Amino acid sequence: MFGYWDALYFVLVFIVGLILAYLLDQWAKKKGMGTKEAGDGTKIFISGEDPDKVIPGFEHLEGYYTGKNVMWGLKYALKRFFTVLKADHTGLLTDYVSYLVIVTAFVMGVLLIWG
Amino acid sequence: MNGHEILPYLIIIPLLGAFSMPIVNVIGRKAREAWAVIISGATLAVGSALFYYVWENKSIIVYTLGAKSPLGQGVNFPIRIVWEVDLFGAIMVLMVTLVSFLAVVYSIGYMKHDTGLDKYYTLIIILELGMLGIAITGDLFNFYVFLEIMSIASYALVAFRNDTWEGIEAGIKYMFVGSIASSLVLLGIALLYGQYGTLTMSYLAVKLAQNPTVVGKVALALFIAGLLFKSGASPVHMWLADAHPAAPSSISAMLSGLVIKIGGIYALTRILFSIYGHSVSMKTVGWVIIIFACITLIVGNAMAVIQNDMKRLLAYSSVGQIGYILLGLGIGLAAYGSQTGEIAMAGAIYHTFNHALMKALLFLIAGVVIHQLGTRDLNELSGLAKTMPKTTFAFLIGAAAIIGMPPLNGFASKWLIYESSAIFNPILGAIAIIGTAFCTAAYVKVLYTFFGRPNERVLKARDPEGSMLWPIIILTAAIIIMGLFPWQISDKVMIPAVKSLENQLAYISAVLGGA
Repeated sequence: MFGYWDALYFVLVFIVGLILAYLLDQWAKKKGMGTKEAGDGTKIFISGEDPDKVIPGFEHLEGYYTGKNVMWGLKYALKRFFTVLKADHTGLLTDYVSYLVIVTAFVMGVLLIWG
Repeated sequence: MNGHEILPYLIIIPLLGAFSMPIVNVIGRKAREAWAVIISGATLAVGSALFYYVWENKSIIVYTLGAKSPLGQGVNFPIRIVWEVDLFGAIMVLMVTLVSFLAVVYSIGYMKHDTGLDKYYTLIIILELGMLGIAITGDLFNFYVFLEIMSIASYALVAFRNDTWEGIEAGIKYMFVGSIASSLVLLGIALLYGQYGTLTMSYLAVKLAQNPTVVGKVALALFIAGLLFKSGASPVHMWLADAHPAAPSSISAMLSGLVIKIGGIYALTRILFSIYGHSVSMKTVGWVIIIFACITLIVGNAMAVIQNDMKRLLAYSSVGQIGYILLGLGIGLAAYGSQTGEIAMAGAIYHTFNHALMKALLFLIAGVVIHQLGTRDLNELSGLAKTMPKTTFAFLIGAAAIIGMPPLNGFASKWLIYESSAIFNPILGAIAIIGTAFCTAAYVKVLYTFFGRPNERVLKARDPEGSMLWPIIILTAAIIIMGLFPWQISDKVMIPAVKSLENQLAYISAVLGGA
């Protein structure tokens, strides 16, 4: 029925997802070059871990999950998109005001023509 | 108790509390804190009673200031300031009073090392007062006055910690550009008053329907632009990412949880449905809102992914969530009168309430982390789950709810928005899902860090004291409990709220009566 959901669908999707994740993990362990348990040099880079064991100046973070590295794959894949977004957030007051003026003009134009 | 009798206390109590705070402060620190808790607690009691009255009686409360009737003597039009509360307004009142009370209780522990707390508690109560005024007023200029009361208190509270440049810079930026947005709203009010000669919302609705003019449309454009800014919609959201993280966390919880909803979303919805109603093309206005909603939910959630500052991440996440609420509102307008529009609007109101709880919870947790570790840099928070298990569990619940995981409250409201947007236009449904993917990535990033191997700094952290922990527990419990009864809440509260909002005639006749 419109506006309602059946919890059972979500439980099913969750279970299927769990099975797929387990199978993928098993396949990766079998086919991969090795896991971090196999020793240095064959370690798989896990999202969130520092790729280098020790980063100069950041020795205190050795082996910890650092926020900047989590979701690195997504960030890398959408690098251009994020670069544009970051460049747009200048922090300049004049830019904030410009956007407000542009939005006002846009809304006014649309309402006067089609409103 | 009669709703008309208790309504004025919603303003009287916080007004008394704010102005008496400097006097109570003379007695001592404990008296000041107890007074703030009593005032916000009493306001919560009045707000809850008001909500229950409106919900139970399915009625609109009208209160005229200084007289029994809003109509002038010998004339059949309103000349006095009226307060008018329907179910939508009552839901907002409940939301504001609940989150404000929890923020005040939380402040006892969180702000104990700060100075100038008499000013802090005065401002926080004034902030609550401004928001409540916006939620109950039926007069446009009175709305502007309360909007400014709320905004000025917000500017001051963002810059409350003036020992850091961050707070001062964010406060000045917020004040400067916020004042321009307020000026747009004031200009819109002035245009409407000049054209139609009244400020009473319900009477304005009649005048606009009788004689829709270009001036009315220009005024609406100014309202939409000014209030999109106040709600933190993209591309006029940039102030939010500066202001919300710079404020003390209890204030961030109120800014992200309440201020952008009441000062932006609620005000916009009220003006569009109750004043303009059928005097403009709802489809055009709806699509304008939808365009900004789509930009907002993508930009807000995507920017959250690349933040390493926990509070800044939460601030951008607020921008993203405002996108969902605007999407519901836009579809509610564009599909006005259909079941799709009704469900979308119900989702928008539901998500407004849910997001207030979720974001308040997440900001209060960010405050706990800052209080314990003195940092909000995600690069330094690895392994927090080991030393702060209760806080991390609460964050897990809040994050899961905001992503929209069943069976938490965020899922129910997001589902209504997803479903209605997919039926209205599948592309909008797809955009909403992409926004959620970014939102999930942002929160997984924080959770991944929290559940990682603890670093030395984190090992010293502990769960907070009672005054900071209890508001977090209450909000977590509310999120879980509301998630268990999603459709009961939707059917019994949100859908009736939409029906009352769409019934412009009832809103008008509540004030004008037989006039």
